[in-house]
Amino acid sequence: MGAEPGTSDTVLALDGVTKLFGHAAAVDGVSLSIRRGEVFTLLDPSGCGKTTTLRLVAGLERPDAGEITLRDRVVASASRRVFVAPNRRNLGMVFQSYAVWPHMTVFENVAYPLELRGMKRAQVRDKVTRVLELVGLAGTEARPGTLLSGGQMQRLALCRALVYEPDLLLLDEPFSNLDAKLREQMRVEVKLLQRRLGITVLFVTHDQVEALSLSDRIAVMHQGRVEQVGPPRCLYEEPASAFVRDFLGQTVILHGRVCRLPSGHASSVVAVELNGALAGRTLSGRAAPSVVLAPGGAAHLAIRPEDIEVAPHDPPRQETNWLPGVIESLSFVGDRYEARVALGGEYRVVLFIPRGREWREGERLQLGFPPEMVSVWPA
Amino acid sequence: MAGLTQALPVAGPRRIELQTVLCTVVLAVVALCVVFPLVLVALQSLQVAPPGQPARYGLDGWRAALGEPGLRGALTNTFTVTFVRQLLSLPLAVLVAWLLARTDLPGRGWIEFAFWAAFFLPPFTVTLSWILLLDPEYGLVNTWLAKLPFAGGRPFNIYSFWGIVWVHIITGSLTVKVILLTPAFRNMNASFEEASCVAGASGLRTALRITVPVMAPAILSVLLLGTMVSLQTFEVEQVLGLPFRFFVFSTTIYDLLVTRVPRYDAATALSVLILAAMLPLVFAQQWLTRGRRYTTVTGQFQRRVHALGRWRAPAMLLALGLVLVVLGVPVIFALLGTFMKLFGFFHIPDPWTLGNWTTVLGDEQFLRSLHNTLVLAVSTAVVTIVVHSLIAYIIVRTRYAGRRLLDFVSWLPFTVPGIILGLALLWLFLGVGFLRPLYGTTALLVIAGVIAGMPLGVQIIKSGLMQLGGELEEASRIAGASWWATYRRIVLRLMTPTLLAVGMITFVGAARNIGNFALLTTSANRPLSMLQLDYVAQRKFEEAVVVACIIMFVSLAGALVARLLGLRGGNVG
Repeated sequence: MGAEPGTSDTVLALDGVTKLFGHAAAVDGVSLSIRRGEVFTLLDPSGCGKTTTLRLVAGLERPDAGEITLRDRVVASASRRVFVAPNRRNLGMVFQSYAVWPHMTVFENVAYPLELRGMKRAQVRDKVTRVLELVGLAGTEARPGTLLSGGQMQRLALCRALVYEPDLLLLDEPFSNLDAKLREQMRVEVKLLQRRLGITVLFVTHDQVEALSLSDRIAVMHQGRVEQVGPPRCLYEEPASAFVRDFLGQTVILHGRVCRLPSGHASSVVAVELNGALAGRTLSGRAAPSVVLAPGGAAHLAIRPEDIEVAPHDPPRQETNWLPGVIESLSFVGDRYEARVALGGEYRVVLFIPRGREWREGERLQLGFPPEMVSVWPA
Repeated sequence: MAGLTQALPVAGPRRIELQTVLCTVVLAVVALCVVFPLVLVALQSLQVAPPGQPARYGLDGWRAALGEPGLRGALTNTFTVTFVRQLLSLPLAVLVAWLLARTDLPGRGWIEFAFWAAFFLPPFTVTLSWILLLDPEYGLVNTWLAKLPFAGGRPFNIYSFWGIVWVHIITGSLTVKVILLTPAFRNMNASFEEASCVAGASGLRTALRITVPVMAPAILSVLLLGTMVSLQTFEVEQVLGLPFRFFVFSTTIYDLLVTRVPRYDAATALSVLILAAMLPLVFAQQWLTRGRRYTTVTGQFQRRVHALGRWRAPAMLLALGLVLVVLGVPVIFALLGTFMKLFGFFHIPDPWTLGNWTTVLGDEQFLRSLHNTLVLAVSTAVVTIVVHSLIAYIIVRTRYAGRRLLDFVSWLPFTVPGIILGLALLWLFLGVGFLRPLYGTTALLVIAGVIAGMPLGVQIIKSGLMQLGGELEEASRIAGASWWATYRRIVLRLMTPTLLAVGMITFVGAARNIGNFALLTTSANRPLSMLQLDYVAQRKFEEAVVVACIIMFVSLAGALVARLLGLRGGNVG
């Protein structure tokens, strides 16, 4: 107890945690720390690393290397041969399938963890009633848990995980079995509940919208490793790797060659001379974080399509970072236009244009690439 | 039948009606073969005149069944044996199934396979093997123990109540439960247990408060099925109970019918009593399978197993010990027994001989029975494949109004003890004029075999068809194939392994069946399974064990082929 140099503000810390399945590492040297009261999300578009990480935290798997610290107590350490059983970690967990015990009523499901903690009957009744009220399940106490609807079952699983006030709540893709509308509603409910109770949540999902909207911080995982950790906006606006950049949202990419690097620390603007059909034109942008660019080296320019500015063909813009284009196809999607703009050669950009002006297919226009929105990556 | 008159609001009324007529014919034939004989048995229990004399009705049979100490004792014995063997085998089977399905027990795949193979061992052969070990006089275990200074002589006697219970647990009670429970445990959502663990419960607590209650319906269902299966055989009591005058209902019925003056009224009354006692089990089973089933597989889940840790070695020891008892001992000692000059006498000088094999293989009786068995088993398998697949297809794929009823009726033979089904068919074929010429022919045994195998066969084909899904057939119909072309080129092709597996286990079942055939065989149609019993009755154990050994190897080979064709415990029951 207390041997770890973690501050009391850190609820959970992973240090170089690795889990092998056969020879493949599902979790590969993951280090994270989760602060009290935050919603921390593990986002992994495809792999199983995120769920395995969650299961390692829960104690349902043993790490092959590394150390997991929960509230300054080492709960799993491969090198020190420490392993605390899941039932001694005081965690709450909502399973993907909810795991609502079918032989128990709603009340019994929620009361079970309290009984295990030796709580008095009257107190159990009181607590269960209160937590069920909190999520709008009051009145269903006597029903068998499996006769509830999907959304209700999920609320029940949430109640069961929250009722004993665990140090950390683990959510394993809890929304994936709900339909789209219910999913959105539950997302909001969970967020409100979390804010109200101030609980710390470790959330696992493959859905970027869920992750972006629910989290205080996100760790994007790829092939068992953590690619980047940060608040949602930061990940979106300043992705640290091409994987994070391309996975989160849409990206327009132009190819070229670095022609001018920032001189000293006065400006951070990199100029890139485009190649292919746009040869001779130059766009500038910021160097992406922690990348090394060499003058004359091949480079990508990346920008989110919603950051591209649109202007009519006439009058021609004098500022730099504007390119002329032709609308190849245009579809009206209600609140705006979706347009495919040809910039010449193989360069095409798909972007949304506001309704303000009437656009036509075949019309010429100009696209602006604000330098502060353009990031430059080595190719 | 309801289906005939019902107008279905679907295009092409003539087609539908033809289908309905065909389905109704199938239902009627199946009901005639399964239900009608049982009704005849019930009626016969009121007919008290001795055979050959004009019918006279009365309650003498019932009076005998309820009053005569011998018959009442048989009922008591039946219930006691059944109860005790279920009580002892269930906790053990639950433990083994849990070990096989939910732990990291080393070699669990092989151990499960061993139980599966043991399920196919003929009870008769197993009984003979264990006689070699547990005979009160010369049984090997007793001989060994007698040599030890501290053991009190020869403690075991297989010709006793506990001897019968022991052999029953080995031959049926344990193995059938293990092969049915293991897939059920495997399909349980691991999150149920994990959620309990994370909520703060220890491993044992989780097992008792979550795993077992969640599995309770499956366990109860297997208990009911196991009880029904346990009443199918009668050879164990026939071999072990007779020497010390211990009778259960099946041996009593056999005794009442094959000795001196047959007492049909008492035998049928006893049968009706046993069937009546089965009724609650039937309803409970139906209720369980209709109601909510807990062990359904939810969405995506991964199979995860518990680490046994320091319990690994004891668990392994237990599992291997059980495999030795249910599979190793029966196979090894049945084989050893065939080479003994005097069955069971290990201590005589030079006890081994090849003579039993040469005697039996040269015996004309044996060759005739072998011929009968081959004809019987092959015909049963072929008829079974055709009839059972037809029944299963109607149940799964048509919207025929009576398909639920057909499902129930085809499952009914499961609940009818073998000897009673034999008695019922005997009655049908003796009582109904135009069927009488069939008595004493192999055809009669084929019918008995097809009916006896119906619950299992239909069940397996049904689950195969359900896995197949209707869309493959619909796609073929839309592509322009007729119903018949679809059935031939899609359904049959895809179902071939399943159908062959069903044929294989039916072949095995017909080759080793005693309970269903005991009352239906004459010297003309006697198969090997009955020949071995007759050998025992004549105290020719050496010949009996040779035949038993042959049947055992046929059974094991058939089981292995069925396994290779994809049959698993999961699609049974």
